[in-house]
Amino acid sequence: MSFAWTSKLALAAGLAILPASGWAQSVTISYLTHWSPETVALLEAAAKDYAKTNPDVSVTVRAVPFGDLLTTLRSQGGSADGPTIGGIYDLWLPELARDKLVAPAPDAVASEVKGAWPVGVVSAASVGGKLYGIPNEIDVYALNYNKALFKQAGIAAPPKTWDEFKDAAKKLTNKDAGQQGFGMINSWAAGVVHPFASLLVSNGGELVKDGKPVLDSKQAGETFQLYEDLVKSGASVPAMATADANTTGPFLDNFVSGKTGMIIMANWWESALKTGMGDKFTDIATAPIPVGPSGDKPHSISYSWMTVVNANAGQAEQKAAWEFLAWLNNPKSGRSGASAMSDILMSMGILPSRTSDIEAHKDKLGSEFLSGYVSVLADAKPFPVVPGGQEFSESLQQTIEALQYGQVSAKDAQATAQADATSILERAAK
Amino acid sequence: MIQRYRASAGIMLTPAATLIGIFILLPMLLTVWLSFQDWSTQTPFSSASFIGLDNFREIFGPTSVGRDFKGALTNTAIYTALSVVLILPLSVTFGLMVYQHDVAGGTALRTVLFSTYMVPMIAVALVWSKLYSPSEGPLNQMLGLVGVGPQPFLSSPRSALISIVFLNVWQQVGYFTVLAIAGLTQIPGSLYEAAKLDGANRFEQFRFITLPLMRRTLLFSAVIAIINAVQVFEPVALITQGGPVGSTNVLTYHIRRVGIERAQGGLGSAMAVMLMLSLIVVVCALFALANRKDQE
Repeated sequence: MSFAWTSKLALAAGLAILPASGWAQSVTISYLTHWSPETVALLEAAAKDYAKTNPDVSVTVRAVPFGDLLTTLRSQGGSADGPTIGGIYDLWLPELARDKLVAPAPDAVASEVKGAWPVGVVSAASVGGKLYGIPNEIDVYALNYNKALFKQAGIAAPPKTWDEFKDAAKKLTNKDAGQQGFGMINSWAAGVVHPFASLLVSNGGELVKDGKPVLDSKQAGETFQLYEDLVKSGASVPAMATADANTTGPFLDNFVSGKTGMIIMANWWESALKTGMGDKFTDIATAPIPVGPSGDKPHSISYSWMTVVNANAGQAEQKAAWEFLAWLNNPKSGRSGASAMSDILMSMGILPSRTSDIEAHKDKLGSEFLSGYVSVLADAKPFPVVPGGQEFSESLQQTIEALQYGQVSAKDAQATAQADATSILERAAK
Repeated sequence: MIQRYRASAGIMLTPAATLIGIFILLPMLLTVWLSFQDWSTQTPFSSASFIGLDNFREIFGPTSVGRDFKGALTNTAIYTALSVVLILPLSVTFGLMVYQHDVAGGTALRTVLFSTYMVPMIAVALVWSKLYSPSEGPLNQMLGLVGVGPQPFLSSPRSALISIVFLNVWQQVGYFTVLAIAGLTQIPGSLYEAAKLDGANRFEQFRFITLPLMRRTLLFSAVIAIINAVQVFEPVALITQGGPVGSTNVLTYHIRRVGIERAQGGLGSAMAVMLMLSLIVVVCALFALANRKDQE
């Protein structure tokens, strides 16, 4: 064979191998979230930044409504082509880990997380001592109130006890103006159960203790009774409390339009309030959950979110996903010592959970709205993360909604809630 | 000769029979089999374990599983009955209006009626959720103009399901009007002429000619309307999420929640089997009633 022919063959072989070797190295990972388009744009921008130093990794972002997130993870997470990364609510983790839909974190990631996040947050992202996700946000509940409506009603300060709370709710109610004192939420499990649970823990009670429901306690009975009293007195109007699949709807509309005096909600809805209220957002303030007759001091409920990796994705995709997540949550990826993830979260008013991120965002966390949430974080109790937790939550939601609409008494609601929870948690534990 | 004919008929039927077997019968049989198993949808079929009628006992039992299922079954039945009761008379009424040759704008009316059926449910759900909005919704504003106070629509367990039924009727009535018109065209005009000569008025013509001769069309419309109504999912998933107090929690939505969200495949399959059986019973009863009328 002549030299010219040898050269041509070598060139042809080289050209054939070149793209193949390039394809072999490039990895595409997908990120499933329930965030709004504006927040998805921030995540996509962060992925672009990552691609500058990692041109072989391409990250695509897909968003679904919150109501469809778990279904999407369950229906698509069992395949290698499903989302590589998913943002999940900690309540879902035990069952997703049991069903082997999420992969345990590699040792390097696990040791980094254990050193950089608070212990309680790390434990919510772990099952059986094994870390499954990188925690990102922490949400806590507090009392939001409309200062302008308080002023009109002649109320000087937010209520500290349930008696003051009921009194304020009564004063803030104006049926002729379509105004309610305290806004409950319905048609959305967390929106119903978390405010109820916040009042319960602020009354010294608990939802679940040592894996068993304790809704038959005196404290729980008083909390159910509080709901019945508020509805019967007209201070809470259930028809003003509906939520939709995007966790917005009439309950939000009524608060932003000044028709609800007080509501118990988590910090993450800051961006929704700002969008809905514009300049009037300054009317909204945050206070600790009022203390019940059996409580000692204000408590509330907290929960966390984390990013997990699809256990059925290819090895290369899983490795690329963990590396991307490690970068996204690293203090060097964002601004001024904050992680890129925390910058995204803070754009929505969501508290980041990494210790260094809380320090880096100290100024913004000191705002009038968010500082109220930061101040109650230390005494917040994590929402119980147990197998069957989602079903338990949905069942309790139904009972509380039935109480809101006057279909059952507080006493019957308590008995039903305890019986249902016992049956659900026992079945899930088997 | 007959044997050869049978063989060739068998060969020609095989492709269709195979496709029906694989894509229709097999999934149905699989669902029935799973309804007797304890099985998580996240695990292979091989992990399913036989538990007899336990799933059925559970869904008809007194626990939250049973209460939710029975509630969803009742909601589906109410939704279906109301949908059929409203859609059929409306479709016949609109069909008669559009079919009258002497009514001006009949074609335009037919187009408008059918156009609602072509609008995707996502758009219908978005628009109707705003129409029903208790605070700034146009429906309440219009009611306010005639002195009626604001209605809760989707925000009350008493009215939420009915509100979803109206949305369904609005979207589907155009399609059923087209079916009604097709039925009307099959009635010979000579019957009406003879009736007129005998002195029958418009109502009597409708009562003794139109309705009896449209029975087959109405039966077909009723069956399709029932099947469509039983399968309702999108408006519930998009607007109400089954609430408030489970008042719009229909079976398809509930099965999705149990079978996929909670991964309780056995329970979900038992619910699906009950839905299928209920549908079969209702449709068979409808056909039996129609056959009895025919024999009479």
